[in-house]
Amino acid sequence: MENLQYFLLPFLDLKLLSLTIVGTFAGMWVGAIPGLSVTMAASLLISFTFAWDLNSALALICGVYMGGVYGGSITAILINVPGAPAAIATVFDGYPLAQRGEAGRAIGLATTVSLLGGLIGIAFLAFGAPILSKFALKFSPRDYFLLGVMGILLITSMGHGSTIKGIIAGTVGVLLSMVGLDPSTGELRYTFGTVYLMQGISFIPAMIGLFGVSEALFQVRGGTLPPIKQMVDKVIPDFKSIVKHIPLVIRSSLIGVWIGALPGTGGDVAALIAYDNAKRTVKNPSRPFGQGAYEGVIAPESANNAAIGGAFIPMLTLGIPGDAVTAIIIGALFIHGLKPGPLLMIETPQVFWIIVSCLIISAITMVILVLSTLKVFLKVVEIPKNMLMPMIVMLSVVGTYAIQNSLTDVYCMLAFGILGYFMRLYGYAVGPMVLGLILGPVIETNFRRSMQMAENNPLAFIGDIFSHPISFVLSLAIIYMIVSQVGIFKSLSKKGGGSFNGKGNG
Amino acid sequence: MFCKRLLALMSLALGLAFMVLGGVALAEYPEKDINGIIQWGAGGATDVISRAITPLAEPYLGKKIILVNKPGATGAIATTYVYNQPADGYTLLFGAENPSMYKVLGLSEIDYGDFEPIIIIGAVPNVTVVKADSKYKSFKEFIEDAKANPGKVKIAFTGVGGAPHVVSSIMKVVSGVEFNAVEFPGEGPGLTALLGGHVDAMPSGIAPAAEFLRAKMLRGLMVFDKKRLMAFPDIPAITEIYPEYEKYVPYYPWYGVFVKKGTPKEIVDKLTQAFKKAFDDPKYQEFLAKRDTIPLGLTGKEAREFVDRQRSLASWLMWEAGAAKRSPEEFKIPKP
Repeated sequence: MENLQYFLLPFLDLKLLSLTIVGTFAGMWVGAIPGLSVTMAASLLISFTFAWDLNSALALICGVYMGGVYGGSITAILINVPGAPAAIATVFDGYPLAQRGEAGRAIGLATTVSLLGGLIGIAFLAFGAPILSKFALKFSPRDYFLLGVMGILLITSMGHGSTIKGIIAGTVGVLLSMVGLDPSTGELRYTFGTVYLMQGISFIPAMIGLFGVSEALFQVRGGTLPPIKQMVDKVIPDFKSIVKHIPLVIRSSLIGVWIGALPGTGGDVAALIAYDNAKRTVKNPSRPFGQGAYEGVIAPESANNAAIGGAFIPMLTLGIPGDAVTAIIIGALFIHGLKPGPLLMIETPQVFWIIVSCLIISAITMVILVLSTLKVFLKVVEIPKNMLMPMIVMLSVVGTYAIQNSLTDVYCMLAFGILGYFMRLYGYAVGPMVLGLILGPVIETNFRRSMQMAENNPLAFIGDIFSHPISFVLSLAIIYMIVSQVGIFKSLSKKGGGSFNGKGNG
Repeated sequence: MFCKRLLALMSLALGLAFMVLGGVALAEYPEKDINGIIQWGAGGATDVISRAITPLAEPYLGKKIILVNKPGATGAIATTYVYNQPADGYTLLFGAENPSMYKVLGLSEIDYGDFEPIIIIGAVPNVTVVKADSKYKSFKEFIEDAKANPGKVKIAFTGVGGAPHVVSSIMKVVSGVEFNAVEFPGEGPGLTALLGGHVDAMPSGIAPAAEFLRAKMLRGLMVFDKKRLMAFPDIPAITEIYPEYEKYVPYYPWYGVFVKKGTPKEIVDKLTQAFKKAFDDPKYQEFLAKRDTIPLGLTGKEAREFVDRQRSLASWLMWEAGAAKRSPEEFKIPKP
């Protein structure tokens, strides 16, 4: 009963309610601007809310978190620049939809499924947290490695050009991710003796350059095309089309909760894996994936918001951050005199329930805010290209500088913009390269970690895979993903009445 | 409409950027806001300790301290950045112990020798922990098993130069043990792997491990110090078990605030006073206690001596353990 009281507190307390709403609104803006990340906003808020009482600080931070993860998808859909890493997968089908004049529909869908995904994530947090956190601890470095491999296989299903070119771009991405200090020995790799390359190539500037600047350059090349007229009716998705997609929303949200709950992986990986899963399992998408399929927006958007609830699971039950933002919230709890750890829920249960209800308020606020102002957002795409494109470039520069106040990052971002332009020119998709940059370190460090644990004996490493159930299941999923892509099996499964389809829940 | 808002927002962002870039100042210090560069990423120990002390120091300076994280290269990026700013007291470095080893590890030529310490805030003791259901009941058992099975016992560490690396290198030098050391990107992830049973032990800072010890999910085998911890009186100090460690203890990560060498003395004094007052604030003391951080509050000459001694200790130790690339002698770092 006491818990219910704590749960209801933010709904009834006007101050907490309005702080959550303000936080959500601010978070959406921060999320929508490339480079300004939720992580940064949350850490600024720690100093800002230093003198406040804990509940108010939590309300504001939870709002910013929820709004920020969602906000990234607005720019992803409208101008092909994911505002945050969690929105990368939304670009693949969201931007093509905007190009068809369906930006409104795409944002409307994204918002609605973000709410659903967010609520599913919160439900798991509220009712399944202790069990899920135990499961998350069981994931060893070997399993993270396999998860990374699963993600990188996306290259073959991503982009609409040639698979070989996708693989080349992805490989270059992985290679670029190796620049900098070797994570385990501290050796310098490909740094050419400069201290600025020692920190490695951070993927957010690369992402902004590859998606945003290269798109702007490419559009300029096309001459003065008239802006795309956006359909403004039917932006709020009707009940029927939502119901139709419910199974996909649930499946993607489950992936989101699961990946989010794993310490060390967050909304970006969740959204990518959910996108891949949708691409493999949805039999008759509204359009082919990559050309503006609604399913391609629904899957990543439900997954990345579900990952928020997931990320709070290990944080609130064990004091282990599920992602970068929850790591900062742990710091905030410390500053406010709490002790985040396994005893937090026993000694101070109010924190748990207040976070749960602030997240719910924030998810609902998000929908109301966006759906009521959507028509204004759509005007962005109707801005003449000769004005919009320079604005995208400027926004990219400012956003990149803001990440860690580094001009090197800005140069890096511009270089990737130019690289991306030429890649597009010659038919190489840029998505695989970003994927390589994100997943390269996940795969590399975890592979080396698990090899080290197997005393650098490859046979022992393979033995470990067979003797651990989680690793074994992940390996089977990977084998299935590879086999189902091979031409012979594709044609076999078609003849055999689709026996290979339908069971790929990854 | 949106376009206007966007423009307004962008000009705001640009304005902020110019504020950060800043100019050179004259007259009474500080006449404008001060920049604080944090060596490590948001949410880490250095970040949290820095963000908690600045709001308390600001009233004594009369201006804001704008904190920015510049993580990367074990803190060398931030250190180099602050070193390249003018020595006018408008750029502070919020750092941890890592630069002590930059020179011998070949990470950077710039270390705290090129900076003036404002305050050394505190240090975090190191505790070797195992899972609560581990077969190791004592540190002796742990060392004996590691000796009997060289390279088989898995420990988690946080990369070259981190405290777990230094502590396990000391074990290597003193007890002659060889571990199978698995790298993790921080103490938190290392402890997570320990809780999941993927490694056998970890020499970790007490702050991230404390709550797991309290919840009896982890067990402490020893404190890397001469005396036990007040909060965990049943974990023995290492010198109780192996007196031969005496020479090397305590070794711990610590946190401090620095300005570039050559900053005018009155500015250094003003900053020192402000941060000392903030440090003495009961609110900050309570915060440090909650994080199991040993309050040091060293300033002036004491702080200089502390920083230099830590550098000697760490550099020579890494050299003896065979983990350093270059000899401390090359840089005229005195023996501890």
